[in-house]
Amino acid sequence: MSTFQLEIVTPTRIYDEGEVSYVRCPGIDGLFGVLANHTKSVFALTVGEIKIIRDNETRYFATSGGYAEVTGKKVQLLLESAERSDEIDVERAKEAIQRARERLAQKHKIDVVRAESSLQRALNRLRVAQR
Amino acid sequence: MSNLKDIRHRIGSVKNIQKVTRAMKMVAAAKLRRAQINMERARPYAHRINEVLTHLLPAINRNLNRLLEVREPKKVGFVIITADRGLCGSFNTNIIRRATEILKPYEKDDTRLICVGRKGLNHFQSRGYNIIGQYIGFWRELNFGHAISIVEQITDLYLKHDLDKVFLIYNEFKNVIQQNVITQTFLPLVLTEESMGEGKVDFGEYLFEPSEEQIVNSLVPRHLNIQMWQALLESNAAEQAARMTAMENATENASEMISDLTLEYNKARQAAITKELLDIVGGAEALVHAQG
Repeated sequence: MSTFQLEIVTPTRIYDEGEVSYVRCPGIDGLFGVLANHTKSVFALTVGEIKIIRDNETRYFATSGGYAEVTGKKVQLLLESAERSDEIDVERAKEAIQRARERLAQKHKIDVVRAESSLQRALNRLRVAQR
Repeated sequence: MSNLKDIRHRIGSVKNIQKVTRAMKMVAAAKLRRAQINMERARPYAHRINEVLTHLLPAINRNLNRLLEVREPKKVGFVIITADRGLCGSFNTNIIRRATEILKPYEKDDTRLICVGRKGLNHFQSRGYNIIGQYIGFWRELNFGHAISIVEQITDLYLKHDLDKVFLIYNEFKNVIQQNVITQTFLPLVLTEESMGEGKVDFGEYLFEPSEEQIVNSLVPRHLNIQMWQALLESNAAEQAARMTAMENATENASEMISDLTLEYNKARQAAITKELLDIVGGAEALVHAQG
């Protein structure tokens, strides 16, 4: 199976995934997959799960969104945050869910959008961690 | 030759100065480590965002976002990034010198400066330049929010046609003993000769998801925030490095001065002893002669 180079770059670290055969990302309009020789494109990503297949081995990352640039033999994901499934701190994610739910329950005087999105991010991390 | 008490006094004060410079060096070293880690972590991301934008610029429709407008540069703004404090070698003076050079062709009233850091602000304010924005006293708790608020002011002015072009002047962290003064075009977003020359640009069509408009409208502001953030991180790390080096030199100079002064002190002491001995011997001889 033909492969392409994949790099995940966040403001705090780089994951060089090397040659992979498939990556699936959470686009704003839904999940999309990229195989080798994909046409040149730029995607906007949202909160969700990234699935990577490399040498028949599957890996998952949790992300809070960003961009994917696909150019010929290379895909780079520029993400606001990314955590590999086995690096996610489950306890912290649970705490964040708890906090966000409490804040949402108060209803008043809070930034609902912000609390909602931090809840989504935490739920996503927990989901990916259980992969 | 100065007298013994004076020299002793001077040695004492140089030693005190050395204690201060040594302490400042240690503080700068500790701050540098943190600043350098933050800066180095953020660097690849900033470069990649820039790279993606460079790839896209030839392909995108500039009418989609007003920040992409390119106008005749009648009103030019300069963001000048310095430190809040001195005692960091030529860190601030290098920036100020470069900025002054670039500002030469403009009337002072016709300059539009956004001063980040107190040193630059003090310099240009007291010389009658037109300051349109100032951000001082935040270096200690530098965070992404500071970059966002500076960029907000700039983009606001840009959209209102109060600025047509914006330059960024800051110190880039090269290594611990070297800082580079960087002059960078912040707006409008155009391809630099540098990126064209390296053959990074390929003028092909891109597929945009969900749409070109959405990508452009989220990527352009994000790009600007990230570039400003990177400039702040670079400057912060460079400042601590410059201060550390400057204070290390000061400490060394103090050591040198102390040893010079100690030598002088010992010479003076020796001279005084010799003189006293001569007096004693001379006195004794006089007595011998008197008795004889």
